[in-house]
Amino acid sequence: MSAQPETLRSRRSLARNEARIALLFVGPWIVGFGVFLFYPLVASIYYSFCDYSVLRSPVWIGMQNYADLVRDDVFWTSLKNTLIYAMMALPLGMLVAISLAMLLNAKVKGLAVYRTIFFLPSLVPTIPLAVLWLWVFNGEHGILNYVLQLLHLPTPNWLGDPAWSKPALALLAIWGAGNSMVIYLAGLQDVPVDLYEAADLDGAGWWSKTRNVTLPMLSPVILFNLIMGIIGALQVFAEPYVMFPGGSPARSTYFYTMYLFDNAFRYHKMGYACAMGWIMFVIILLLTMLALRLSERHVYYQGS
Amino acid sequence: MARASLPLGAWGTLVINAHPNQPLLGRNMRRLAVPGAIALIALTIWYSELIVAPAPQVGPVHVTYWEKWTGFEGDAMRAVVDAFNRSQSKIHVDLLTISGIEDKTLLATAGGDPPDVAGLYGPNVAQYADDRAILPLDDYCRRYGINASQYIPAYWDIGYYRGHIWALPTTPASTALHYNRQMFRDAGLDPNRPPRTIEEMDADAAKIYRRDAAGHILKAGFMPAEPGWWNWGWGYFFGGRLWDGVSRITANSPENIRAFEWIRSYSVKYGARDLQTFRSGFGNFSSPQNAFLSQQVAMELQGVWMSNFIQMYSPGLDWAAAPFPYPADRPDLKNSTFVDEDVLVIPRGAKHPEEAFQFIAFVQSQKGMEMLCLLQKKHTPLIKVSPEFWAHHPNPYIKLFAQLARGKNTIFPPKLGIWPEYSAELNNAFDEVTLLKKTPKEALEAVQQRMQPKLDEYLRILRLRGDIR
Amino acid sequence: MFIIKEAEKERTPQPGQTRVRARKSSSIHKQRHEWLLHLVLVVLSVMFLFPLFWLVSTSLKPIEETMRQPPTLFPAHPQWHNYRDAFVYEADKLGYIPFLVYGRNTLILCILTVSGVVFSNALVAYAFARLRWPGRDLVFAATLATMMVPFPVLMVPVYALFKGLGWIGTFRPLWVPAWFGNAFFIFLLRQFFRTIPFELSEAARIDGASEWGIFRQIILPLSKPALAVVALFQFMGTWRDFLGPLIYLLDQKTFTLSLGLQFYQSQHGGTQWHLLMAASTIVIAPVIILFFFTQKQFIQGIALTGIKG
Repeated sequence: MSAQPETLRSRRSLARNEARIALLFVGPWIVGFGVFLFYPLVASIYYSFCDYSVLRSPVWIGMQNYADLVRDDVFWTSLKNTLIYAMMALPLGMLVAISLAMLLNAKVKGLAVYRTIFFLPSLVPTIPLAVLWLWVFNGEHGILNYVLQLLHLPTPNWLGDPAWSKPALALLAIWGAGNSMVIYLAGLQDVPVDLYEAADLDGAGWWSKTRNVTLPMLSPVILFNLIMGIIGALQVFAEPYVMFPGGSPARSTYFYTMYLFDNAFRYHKMGYACAMGWIMFVIILLLTMLALRLSERHVYYQGS
Repeated sequence: MARASLPLGAWGTLVINAHPNQPLLGRNMRRLAVPGAIALIALTIWYSELIVAPAPQVGPVHVTYWEKWTGFEGDAMRAVVDAFNRSQSKIHVDLLTISGIEDKTLLATAGGDPPDVAGLYGPNVAQYADDRAILPLDDYCRRYGINASQYIPAYWDIGYYRGHIWALPTTPASTALHYNRQMFRDAGLDPNRPPRTIEEMDADAAKIYRRDAAGHILKAGFMPAEPGWWNWGWGYFFGGRLWDGVSRITANSPENIRAFEWIRSYSVKYGARDLQTFRSGFGNFSSPQNAFLSQQVAMELQGVWMSNFIQMYSPGLDWAAAPFPYPADRPDLKNSTFVDEDVLVIPRGAKHPEEAFQFIAFVQSQKGMEMLCLLQKKHTPLIKVSPEFWAHHPNPYIKLFAQLARGKNTIFPPKLGIWPEYSAELNNAFDEVTLLKKTPKEALEAVQQRMQPKLDEYLRILRLRGDIR
Repeated sequence: MFIIKEAEKERTPQPGQTRVRARKSSSIHKQRHEWLLHLVLVVLSVMFLFPLFWLVSTSLKPIEETMRQPPTLFPAHPQWHNYRDAFVYEADKLGYIPFLVYGRNTLILCILTVSGVVFSNALVAYAFARLRWPGRDLVFAATLATMMVPFPVLMVPVYALFKGLGWIGTFRPLWVPAWFGNAFFIFLLRQFFRTIPFELSEAARIDGASEWGIFRQIILPLSKPALAVVALFQFMGTWRDFLGPLIYLLDQKTFTLSLGLQFYQSQHGGTQWHLLMAASTIVIAPVIILFFFTQKQFIQGIALTGIKG
């Protein structure tokens, strides 16, 4: 019919129109993406192959930075420190967050109050928190050691002993768990109650219900938090920067981003810093893919 | 409206709560909301730009001067700046106190907006010069008649690097053994006979150490870790050097290892953990709870400024200063002292370098320098000293400090652009040895292994840039 | 990517999805369990609140009492003047900047970043959620991927970029990028926009409304809670930001609160703990107060990012 080519043409021009308008809407992001993400990403690779002190122009040196990194003891130390810290802080944080969420999920009076209380510490800006912790963890005057002393437990020199400095930082993760706790709580509330009822009918105990209903239902949320947690833990900077200047004692808290920062802004080896940045990016990608790969077996999606 | 009982999940609750017909504000206010917001944003942007904009230059040329000092040291420089501003009407120096000044100045220079004059630390010169972050001052010095012969050699030398003068001193420093005469008396030692050799000092320290019933250290005779500002340099007291001046790092030289053995001996003798715990309880440096001022530590390596802190926080302290001990078998190392100075530099990109140097020259004059050093209660880096300077000086041992600086055993860190990394490594090695985590040989070998490639790389880059041949 | 798969399923209400109830048991049993639960929660609450309590307590002590061993739980004589002292710390000294100045600067940045973030991300999310255009899903996937790029990778070139523009030392590097989109907020808003029934847009289009009109008069009003969440998140982020101001701000009179706190830390190793705690309390207070008033939105917002992620 004669109407058909008309509609076809007008549909195509409608689509083109929509695309043009979309371009206007998405414009800011195109610019932002290009200028603040894509360009720096590419430039960063280029700089990583240069000797670049920002006061002088970059000089191409090929793979030298990467070769130096591999031979650089401090690089490996900072990487190791960061991974150890992540392996301590992440499970601890997740355990605390999930436990708190499960506690709050039981219909308790004053739920909102408790939820607020647990969430509050995660709001505190980094510097005051770090400073406060410097105080709490002080080997001689700190309140933590005082309490431990009362309980006749050992009182390590948290800030001065390399063996305890990372655990001290990891303990900070407990107080920051409020953020992910809220997510878990919301996730728990999404769990269909008939699954629990079915489990009850089968005579399942608390642990069995947790293992077979709660955790699988929560698994997408756990995965999400795990990935975000990895990305965050690997980039930890502000707390150790304030609490442990230079990564003291004995570089036990010298983390990856701190070394990167020092290389860029103290030692003026910006090319070297860029190389470090890219290595971190690759590590994050690998860990994320690993998490996703593992998730295929263990994560269960509702409605799929 | 119904909330969580509706089977819509969280998304649903949000949508339902935002009922489009509920007026948030009155109708008129809502019409103003958008233009109001735009106005607020525009106003904020304009205001933020205003804060950042440089002050309009009317009248005299304004020279920005960033300095690190606070307290009475800052006041001293303030007095000199005021004197300069009063002495002429073409230039006005604006003095600003900046904390973390070496990092901030580097950042500002990198960012293209540095101050005209910056007060850095002596060891910063090499790195800044390598990066061309500061201007060479040879030409300015020549024109203003400033040269090496006017200075105590150690202090001129600090600002001199690879054939150019990059920085001129403000206040100098040297170090000596500070000891608590009362604690000496209490331990049965003669307060007028400070130890002359390291071995004597170790023996005296042993007599002074006290513990409480639970075994915690109450008083320490001496601790290499206190105050901990020169942990990189103990090797020099034993005749060690940190590099050969040409191309080799010498962190693992026998003398350096010997020094670290000596450091280790304190941890072995008095307990690494005990010392660490003892140290973590020290109060702030500039307070009566300072380890030395509160009489917890009897002997300490400290600088010429210590007298000020004693007078400020602990005026009743019975103390004295003496040259730091030397190893008994090395009398050639007698009167070793760390020398350092605060310096003035002109960052690259400064808007008024010429006027900046005019101010620097004023500080270098005998009049300006003595005013500054007297107020900061330090000695002066100039060779010529007026008798009034000595007469009015509040530090009873000032002549000792000046003498030590003129001696031949003056210690200054290696002038290398990679000094920040090297010093971080040495500090780390110090920590490892005091905590008995590594033996001195292991710790220093590790430093050697790490720093030699860095030095090689650094020299290679310098050659690439054409700075050296 | 699993995230997109999840998101693409237009979520229909699931029957029988109600809140999980506590375990069914006899009422006495239940009472005992509740009592135990409360006990545990109270103990945990004390643990969680303790640091904040300690912060305020230390801020009211004189410096000597802060170092007393054993530590005192409550200050013997509350030194309220510590708060005033924190404000005027080193007031007579050189280069003194009143704490209020840091607060003003931080507020300026908050206003500019929050408005930028709300405006730009709403626009962009609209394009991803309610418009069709070639390559849309691919670009969205790329957007999500960027959330994994750690900031340190970008830090140096972005710094060099701002240096080239002459923006170092100004506030611009800290707020201008907020006006050009943010992957996380785009994701959040896009998910939300998609839950608004498409029929509303269709009806409006048939009536002849422009996309901008639909955006402004239908989508935005319905999205107030989500936009509020974005605004809140950004406010918190800007208020707490440390690394950005550290790198980009040079002149003390431009510093923000998070940088300003560093001044109470040692010059020569002399930290004024009591003043530092007082200043920290001042910095934390607005965040906590704001949170109390916007709890529900805030927590819902966090929950949304997690579950639908």
